[in-house]
Amino acid sequence: MEKVYLCKFSELAENQVKKIENKAHGDIAVYNLGGQVYATADLCTHATASLADGDIEDDMIVCPVHWGQFHIPTGKAQGFPCEIDLRTYPVEIDDDAIYALVEVDANMIAKG
Amino acid sequence: MSNIIKTLDVTERLDNLKQVCDLDEGRIAGEIFYSQSIYEQELEKIFARCWLFVAHESQLVKTGDYITTTMGEDEVIVVRQKDGSIKVFLNACPHRGNKVCFSESGTTRGFICNYHGWSFDTAGNLVGQHESGIYEASEFDKSKWGLREVAKVDTYKGLVFATFDPESPSLQEYLGPMTWYLDALFDNQEGGTEFVGGCIRSTYECNWKIAAENFVGDILHAGWTHDSAARAMLGGAVAKVSDFEESYSVNWNGHGYEFALDTVGNVAVLGESKLNRYIHTIKPSVAERLGDFRSNMIASVSSCTIFPNFSFLPGQNTVRVWQPRGPNKIELFTWVVVNKSAPDDIKEMWRKGAMMTFSPTGVFEMDDGENWEYCTKTAKGRVTAKQDLYVGLGMDTFMEDTHLPGNVYQGQLNEANSRAFYQYWYDLLSAHTWSEVPNRNKGKVEAE
Amino acid sequence: MFTQSAALESVSQDVFFEVAAFLNKEARLLDEERFEEWLGLIHEDIHYWMPGIENRRRENPLKQGFYDKDHMAYFDDSLRDLQRRVARFRQPSAWAENPATRNVHQVNNLEAFIAQEPNTYEVYSTFTSIRSRGLDEEYVIYGRRYDTLIRTESGLKLLKRLILIPNATLSCKNINTFL
Repeated sequence: MEKVYLCKFSELAENQVKKIENKAHGDIAVYNLGGQVYATADLCTHATASLADGDIEDDMIVCPVHWGQFHIPTGKAQGFPCEIDLRTYPVEIDDDAIYALVEVDANMIAKG
Repeated sequence: MSNIIKTLDVTERLDNLKQVCDLDEGRIAGEIFYSQSIYEQELEKIFARCWLFVAHESQLVKTGDYITTTMGEDEVIVVRQKDGSIKVFLNACPHRGNKVCFSESGTTRGFICNYHGWSFDTAGNLVGQHESGIYEASEFDKSKWGLREVAKVDTYKGLVFATFDPESPSLQEYLGPMTWYLDALFDNQEGGTEFVGGCIRSTYECNWKIAAENFVGDILHAGWTHDSAARAMLGGAVAKVSDFEESYSVNWNGHGYEFALDTVGNVAVLGESKLNRYIHTIKPSVAERLGDFRSNMIASVSSCTIFPNFSFLPGQNTVRVWQPRGPNKIELFTWVVVNKSAPDDIKEMWRKGAMMTFSPTGVFEMDDGENWEYCTKTAKGRVTAKQDLYVGLGMDTFMEDTHLPGNVYQGQLNEANSRAFYQYWYDLLSAHTWSEVPNRNKGKVEAE
Repeated sequence: MFTQSAALESVSQDVFFEVAAFLNKEARLLDEERFEEWLGLIHEDIHYWMPGIENRRRENPLKQGFYDKDHMAYFDDSLRDLQRRVARFRQPSAWAENPATRNVHQVNNLEAFIAQEPNTYEVYSTFTSIRSRGLDEEYVIYGRRYDTLIRTESGLKLLKRLILIPNATLSCKNINTFL
């Protein structure tokens, strides 16, 4: 488990999503849904798109490219053309800092 | 800016224009309503160059609100941007050319092509594709393949115009002093105007010019063509225009507005006394806003065409575009315009009144259609097409000494506006560039 | 899109026959330009409505799907409006009616139900209107109608008519008839 710093809570407005670049694990999208913070992979599972460029509608993130949707708390793919769920990360808030807890996948390490 | 459309190479002008159109002599020939080669020149030298009406701002309230329409035969999307501006794009995917927006209006995040899933945001940027990895592997440059944006978009009092031609004059210069007259309908009350919801479209087998010319300055037809409708709606004949003490035909750059100063002649034919009363009620405030002269125009016996194909009738409040669909076919798009500040029941009466009079079921329009179709169809005859048609009324009626802006002619029973319309048409077809279009305006640019 | 408001009971065979006869007669009166007699079949509180059809995406519907009561229409008429239209047909100066337009109105797919209001029936049908003018003009309009008929002392009358055509662009220049 790796603790990845995302951003300051005070800099993430309500119903805002931010993209945090991360070369090691892939970019991470961090969301503030009515005070509750979530983190998911930022790359859409359908085609190349940064979900942080999309709109939040209720608890869904709408991909800006083909308008497929993912449920932010669970990462579930919910709207055509998205079929593969999004990776989600547990978050930890320490004072004002938001961290994602990224489980380092053994397979991915093996692949190098 | 790489997504700006390519402009057309200019083709040679037709060599027979002088034979089909001589406005100094007051004649045209039916050929201009039926010839395929003339029509092709019109698409290039008129519709791909002039400012064309594409929308009313009230149709595009929020970010992502769009309508689709055509500029000439080119399909376009008109969409409200995040910054409040309006962009106009070709409604064709830059990949294989498929239409990217199939609906006539709505609110959207962008446009996704049904063919290969190319996706564009409302600013026209290509934001992705289905199987995007394939494009990335080919080092495809997304920034060059957005929706093709028209050269210029501008508005006047809620009316949105666009042009494909970066060399065209500004909208202000193009409309010139006609804006002073447009205000009589489009800016007579605080808050301006809005369109009633919806758009009624119909198909005429006529040339676009015969319809546009009818609105540019042909009130002459009304007393005869529309006798039946006037009797049905009013129980009597159409107002005898020759009895009006004061009336005018005004034109500029081929646009034309003909009008009397009887305040309510046009609205009266809707047969709703409440609408007449509304006009009389607002008239004093219009006089304060626009002056006495134009307060007499707000629903008077009048009509207007902004060159080439945008027309309206103050009073009936029908607004329309004669969309060209070949030399002998148009699609007519119509809307109803109302003052934003008007009470709801007044807006509703205009919605129905325009339908009862000027729509495919309208008792007035019914008798126009057949006339326009047969003005076009007779020119199918090779011999008939070559015969002169008379357009010479009111040759010596130009008013040198007037406070009014524009090229002002005495009387609205006058073919001065029709001649100016066909003259501008001739000038554009003859010109390879805008600088070759002669300036034939001889009136004032501004009101005195 | 119009949908039936409740599960309604079908009318009896006798009433079905009567309703069919009413609609067939109505069509024939129009074909024979017997407009005054046609107006006699219309209730004084008629709402005769043919909305404009708008080509919208499913996720952007109007109040009634692809039409809206506040939007532009072909007909949105009271009895006075229908009378005015008939008055134009009757003028000797109705140039586009002379020579006459020759009409055939067909009515099909008839269904009739007992409506919730007393003495009224909900009647659904499809129609085809074929018009010819001049030597070679032919215009065909087809669509679906949702009628409310009411039984009065002087027989059945048309109280409401909703006319829906499939076309977002009318393929002809006018509708110089009733549908």
